[in-house]
Amino acid sequence: MPEPEPQSKGLDPAAGLLACLFPGAGHLYRGEAYRALMAAFGVLGLFLGGMFVGGIDTIDAEEDRIWFVGQAFVGPVAFGVNYVHQTRFKAYDPDTRVRRTGYPDEMRASRIIDPVKGEQPVWVPAEDGRGPPNVKSVAKMNEIGTLAATIAGMLNFIIILDALLPSVRGVIGRREEESPALETAQGGGDA
Amino acid sequence: MNPLAYTPFIDPIDLHDWWFLLLIPMAFFVACAYKAVRVPSMRKFWPQVISFTIQIVGGIALLGLAAYLVLGYAIPSLAPMPGS
Repeated sequence: MPEPEPQSKGLDPAAGLLACLFPGAGHLYRGEAYRALMAAFGVLGLFLGGMFVGGIDTIDAEEDRIWFVGQAFVGPVAFGVNYVHQTRFKAYDPDTRVRRTGYPDEMRASRIIDPVKGEQPVWVPAEDGRGPPNVKSVAKMNEIGTLAATIAGMLNFIIILDALLPSVRGVIGRREEESPALETAQGGGDA
Repeated sequence: MNPLAYTPFIDPIDLHDWWFLLLIPMAFFVACAYKAVRVPSMRKFWPQVISFTIQIVGGIALLGLAAYLVLGYAIPSLAPMPGS
Protein backbone atom coordinates (compact mmCIF):
# COMPACT_ATOMS: atom_id res chain seq x y z
CA MET A 1 0.00 0.00 0.00
CA PRO A 2 1.64 3.29 -1.05
CA GLU A 3 2.09 5.80 1.72
CA PRO A 4 3.37 9.37 1.82
CA GLU A 5 7.07 9.53 2.56
CA PRO A 6 7.46 10.65 6.19
CA GLN A 7 9.92 13.36 6.99
CA SER A 8 13.23 11.95 8.12
CA LYS A 9 14.61 13.42 11.32
CA GLY A 10 17.58 12.59 13.42
CA LEU A 11 15.52 11.89 16.51
CA ASP A 12 11.78 11.77 17.10
CA PRO A 13 11.19 11.53 20.88
CA ALA A 14 7.38 11.78 20.59
CA ALA A 15 7.24 8.87 18.16
CA GLY A 16 9.63 6.89 20.39
CA LEU A 17 7.48 7.54 23.46
CA LEU A 18 4.27 6.56 21.66
CA ALA A 19 5.97 3.41 20.35
CA CYS A 20 6.75 2.48 23.97
CA LEU A 21 3.08 2.84 24.90
CA PHE A 22 1.65 0.63 22.15
CA PRO A 23 3.28 -1.36 19.33
CA GLY A 24 3.19 0.65 16.12
CA ALA A 25 1.87 3.86 17.70
CA GLY A 26 5.13 5.68 16.94
CA HIS A 27 4.88 4.95 13.22
CA LEU A 28 1.21 5.89 13.24
CA TYR A 29 2.20 9.26 14.74
CA ARG A 30 4.72 9.70 11.93
CA GLY A 31 2.04 9.11 9.30
CA GLU A 32 3.01 5.55 8.37
CA ALA A 33 -0.33 3.92 9.13
CA TYR A 34 0.17 0.70 7.18
CA ARG A 35 3.66 0.16 8.56
CA ALA A 36 2.29 0.78 12.06
CA LEU A 37 -0.54 -1.69 11.50
CA MET A 38 1.82 -4.42 10.31
CA ALA A 39 4.27 -3.77 13.17
CA ALA A 40 1.42 -4.06 15.69
CA PHE A 41 0.11 -7.16 13.91
CA GLY A 42 3.49 -8.87 14.18
CA VAL A 43 4.23 -7.91 17.79
CA LEU A 44 0.75 -8.48 19.19
CA GLY A 45 0.37 -11.64 17.10
CA LEU A 46 3.48 -13.06 18.73
CA PHE A 47 2.52 -11.85 22.21
CA LEU A 48 -1.08 -13.10 22.07
CA GLY A 49 0.06 -16.20 20.19
CA GLY A 50 2.40 -16.96 23.08
CA MET A 51 -0.49 -16.55 25.51
CA PHE A 52 -2.70 -18.72 23.31
CA VAL A 53 -0.12 -21.51 23.36
CA GLY A 54 1.03 -21.30 26.97
CA GLY A 55 -1.85 -19.53 28.67
CA ILE A 56 -1.62 -16.51 30.92
CA ASP A 57 1.08 -18.35 32.87
CA THR A 58 3.62 -17.32 30.20
CA ILE A 59 3.47 -13.69 31.42
CA ASP A 60 4.75 -13.82 34.97
CA ALA A 61 7.03 -11.14 36.40
CA GLU A 62 7.36 -12.96 39.73
CA GLU A 63 8.15 -16.54 38.74
CA ASP A 64 9.76 -15.86 35.32
CA ARG A 65 11.36 -12.50 35.97
CA ILE A 66 14.18 -12.83 33.42
CA TRP A 67 11.72 -13.65 30.65
CA PHE A 68 9.50 -10.78 31.69
CA VAL A 69 12.37 -8.35 31.18
CA GLY A 70 12.13 -9.13 27.46
CA GLN A 71 8.33 -9.25 27.45
CA ALA A 72 8.15 -5.84 29.11
CA PHE A 73 9.25 -4.18 25.86
CA VAL A 74 5.80 -4.94 24.45
CA GLY A 75 4.73 -2.05 26.69
CA PRO A 76 1.78 -1.48 29.03
CA VAL A 77 -0.01 -4.47 27.48
CA ALA A 78 2.56 -6.83 29.05
CA PHE A 79 2.40 -5.07 32.42
CA GLY A 80 -1.40 -5.17 32.34
CA VAL A 81 -1.50 -8.90 31.59
CA ASN A 82 1.04 -9.54 34.34
CA TYR A 83 -1.02 -7.47 36.81
CA VAL A 84 -4.18 -9.42 35.99
CA HIS A 85 -2.26 -12.69 36.27
CA GLN A 86 -0.83 -11.83 39.68
CA THR A 87 -4.01 -10.40 41.18
CA ARG A 88 -6.87 -12.36 39.57
CA PHE A 89 -5.38 -15.79 38.94
CA LYS A 90 -2.77 -16.39 41.63
CA ALA A 91 -3.33 -16.72 45.34
CA TYR A 92 -1.21 -17.23 48.44
CA ASP A 93 -0.12 -20.64 49.62
CA PRO A 94 -1.48 -20.86 53.19
CA ASP A 95 1.68 -22.59 54.42
CA THR A 96 4.53 -20.79 52.64
CA ARG A 97 2.61 -17.50 52.11
CA VAL A 98 4.08 -17.31 48.61
CA ARG A 99 1.83 -16.26 45.73
CA ARG A 100 1.51 -19.06 43.18
CA THR A 101 -0.75 -20.70 40.59
CA GLY A 102 -3.28 -23.13 42.00
CA TYR A 103 -3.16 -26.92 41.80
CA PRO A 104 -6.06 -28.78 40.13
CA ASP A 105 -7.61 -29.68 43.51
CA GLU A 106 -7.55 -26.12 44.88
CA MET A 107 -9.71 -23.03 44.55
CA ARG A 108 -9.29 -19.36 45.48
CA ALA A 109 -10.91 -18.03 48.64
CA SER A 110 -10.48 -14.90 50.73
CA ARG A 111 -8.85 -15.59 54.08
CA ILE A 112 -6.83 -13.65 56.65
CA ILE A 113 -3.31 -15.09 56.73
CA ASP A 114 -1.67 -11.83 57.76
CA PRO A 115 -3.68 -9.67 60.20
CA VAL A 116 -1.88 -6.55 58.98
CA LYS A 117 -2.89 -7.05 55.35
CA GLY A 118 -6.42 -8.27 56.05
CA GLU A 119 -8.22 -10.64 53.69
CA GLN A 120 -6.14 -11.99 50.84
CA PRO A 121 -6.73 -14.63 48.15
CA VAL A 122 -5.59 -18.00 49.46
CA TRP A 123 -5.64 -21.50 47.99
CA VAL A 124 -8.02 -23.83 49.80
CA PRO A 125 -9.20 -27.38 48.95
CA ALA A 126 -11.65 -27.21 46.06
CA GLU A 127 -15.33 -27.83 46.51
CA ASP A 128 -17.15 -30.11 44.08
CA GLY A 129 -17.06 -28.83 40.51
CA ARG A 130 -14.68 -26.01 41.29
CA GLY A 131 -10.98 -25.49 40.74
CA PRO A 132 -8.30 -22.89 40.10
CA PRO A 133 -9.05 -20.13 37.56
CA ASN A 134 -6.29 -21.29 35.24
CA VAL A 135 -4.12 -24.30 34.50
CA LYS A 136 -0.37 -23.87 34.92
CA SER A 137 1.41 -24.49 31.63
CA VAL A 138 4.31 -26.90 31.65
CA ALA A 139 6.94 -28.36 29.32
CA LYS A 140 7.02 -27.29 25.67
CA MET A 141 3.76 -25.31 25.74
CA ASN A 142 5.18 -23.11 28.48
CA GLU A 143 8.58 -22.84 26.80
CA ILE A 144 7.21 -21.94 23.37
CA GLY A 145 4.59 -19.55 24.74
CA THR A 146 7.11 -17.75 26.93
CA LEU A 147 9.62 -17.58 24.09
CA ALA A 148 7.06 -16.16 21.64
CA ALA A 149 5.98 -13.43 24.09
CA THR A 150 9.62 -12.56 24.81
CA ILE A 151 10.51 -12.36 21.10
CA ALA A 152 7.50 -10.03 20.73
CA GLY A 153 9.07 -7.70 23.28
CA MET A 154 12.48 -7.82 21.63
CA LEU A 155 10.99 -7.08 18.21
CA ASN A 156 9.01 -4.20 19.65
CA PHE A 157 12.29 -2.82 20.98
CA ILE A 158 13.54 -2.71 17.37
CA ILE A 159 10.27 -1.01 16.35
CA ILE A 160 10.66 1.55 19.15
CA LEU A 161 14.19 2.33 17.96
CA ASP A 162 12.94 2.64 14.38
CA ALA A 163 10.28 5.13 15.49
CA LEU A 164 12.78 7.02 17.63
CA LEU A 165 15.44 7.20 14.89
CA PRO A 166 13.47 7.46 11.65
CA SER A 167 16.37 8.66 9.55
CA VAL A 168 18.21 5.33 9.59
CA ARG A 169 15.75 3.40 7.40
CA GLY A 170 15.08 6.51 5.33
CA VAL A 171 18.72 6.76 4.31
CA ILE A 172 18.93 3.05 3.46
CA GLY A 173 15.64 3.23 1.54
CA ARG A 174 16.71 6.23 -0.52
CA ARG A 175 20.06 4.58 -1.29
CA GLU A 176 18.31 1.42 -2.49
CA GLU A 177 15.80 3.32 -4.58
CA GLU A 178 18.57 5.33 -6.21
CA SER A 179 20.54 2.17 -6.93
CA PRO A 180 18.24 -0.82 -7.63
CA ALA A 181 21.24 -2.86 -8.80
CA LEU A 182 22.76 -2.57 -5.34
CA GLU A 183 19.54 -3.85 -3.78
CA THR A 184 19.48 -6.82 -6.16
CA ALA A 185 23.13 -7.58 -5.50
CA GLN A 186 22.44 -7.58 -1.76
CA GLY A 187 19.49 -9.95 -2.15
CA GLY A 188 16.94 -7.33 -1.26
CA GLY A 189 19.22 -5.81 1.32
CA ASP A 190 17.51 -7.53 4.18
CA ALA A 191 16.70 -10.91 5.74
CA MET B 1 -15.38 -23.37 37.83
CA ASN B 2 -14.91 -26.68 36.15
CA PRO B 3 -11.22 -27.57 36.49
CA LEU B 4 -11.34 -29.37 33.14
CA ALA B 5 -12.72 -26.35 31.25
CA TYR B 6 -10.39 -24.79 28.69
CA THR B 7 -10.27 -21.01 28.32
CA PRO B 8 -8.25 -19.58 25.40
CA PHE B 9 -5.37 -17.29 26.40
CA ILE B 10 -5.83 -18.36 30.03
CA ASP B 11 -5.09 -22.08 29.86
CA PRO B 12 -2.35 -23.70 27.74
CA ILE B 13 -3.31 -25.62 24.63
CA ASP B 14 -2.64 -29.34 24.45
CA LEU B 15 -0.30 -29.52 21.48
CA HIS B 16 2.57 -31.37 23.13
CA ASP B 17 2.85 -33.95 20.34
CA TRP B 18 2.81 -31.35 17.56
CA TRP B 19 4.78 -28.56 19.21
CA PHE B 20 7.18 -28.21 16.25
CA LEU B 21 4.32 -26.95 14.02
CA LEU B 22 4.16 -23.83 16.20
CA LEU B 23 7.39 -22.71 14.50
CA ILE B 24 5.42 -21.71 11.39
CA PRO B 25 3.09 -19.09 12.94
CA MET B 26 5.93 -17.89 15.17
CA ALA B 27 8.19 -17.38 12.13
CA PHE B 28 5.35 -15.63 10.28
CA PHE B 29 4.73 -13.10 13.06
CA VAL B 30 8.47 -12.53 13.54
CA ALA B 31 8.74 -11.83 9.80
CA CYS B 32 5.76 -9.43 9.92
CA ALA B 33 7.15 -7.38 12.80
CA TYR B 34 10.71 -7.35 11.48
CA LYS B 35 9.87 -6.54 7.87
CA ALA B 36 7.42 -3.82 8.97
CA VAL B 37 10.38 -1.71 10.01
CA ARG B 38 12.92 -3.11 7.59
CA VAL B 39 11.47 -2.78 4.09
CA PRO B 40 12.00 0.70 2.61
CA SER B 41 8.70 0.50 0.70
CA MET B 42 5.62 -1.28 1.99
CA ARG B 43 4.83 -2.34 -1.58
CA LYS B 44 7.37 -5.15 -1.06
CA PHE B 45 6.09 -6.07 2.40
CA TRP B 46 4.16 -9.32 1.83
CA PRO B 47 6.63 -10.89 -0.63
CA GLN B 48 9.40 -10.10 1.89
CA VAL B 49 7.36 -11.55 4.77
CA ILE B 50 6.67 -14.79 2.90
CA SER B 51 10.29 -15.07 1.81
CA PHE B 52 11.59 -14.44 5.34
CA THR B 53 9.12 -16.90 6.87
CA ILE B 54 10.30 -19.61 4.48
CA GLN B 55 13.92 -18.75 5.27
CA ILE B 56 13.34 -19.03 9.03
CA VAL B 57 11.40 -22.30 8.83
CA GLY B 58 13.85 -23.76 6.32
CA GLY B 59 16.85 -22.66 8.36
CA ILE B 60 15.48 -24.16 11.57
CA ALA B 61 14.58 -27.38 9.73
CA LEU B 62 18.13 -27.62 8.35
CA LEU B 63 19.57 -26.99 11.82
CA GLY B 64 17.33 -29.74 13.17
CA LEU B 65 18.47 -32.12 10.42
CA ALA B 66 22.12 -31.24 11.09
CA ALA B 67 21.69 -31.87 14.81
CA TYR B 68 20.00 -35.20 14.06
CA LEU B 69 22.84 -36.29 11.77
CA VAL B 70 25.53 -35.23 14.25
CA LEU B 71 23.88 -36.81 17.29
CA GLY B 72 22.45 -39.85 15.52
CA TYR B 73 25.28 -40.77 13.17
CA ALA B 74 28.48 -38.71 13.43
CA ILE B 75 29.08 -38.93 17.17
CA PRO B 76 28.13 -42.64 17.47
CA SER B 77 30.53 -43.45 14.62
CA LEU B 78 33.35 -41.40 16.16
CA ALA B 79 32.80 -42.56 19.73
CA PRO B 80 30.77 -45.78 19.74
CA MET B 81 29.18 -46.72 23.04
CA PRO B 82 30.17 -50.08 24.53
CA GLY B 83 27.81 -52.78 23.30
CA SER B 84 26.44 -50.76 20.37
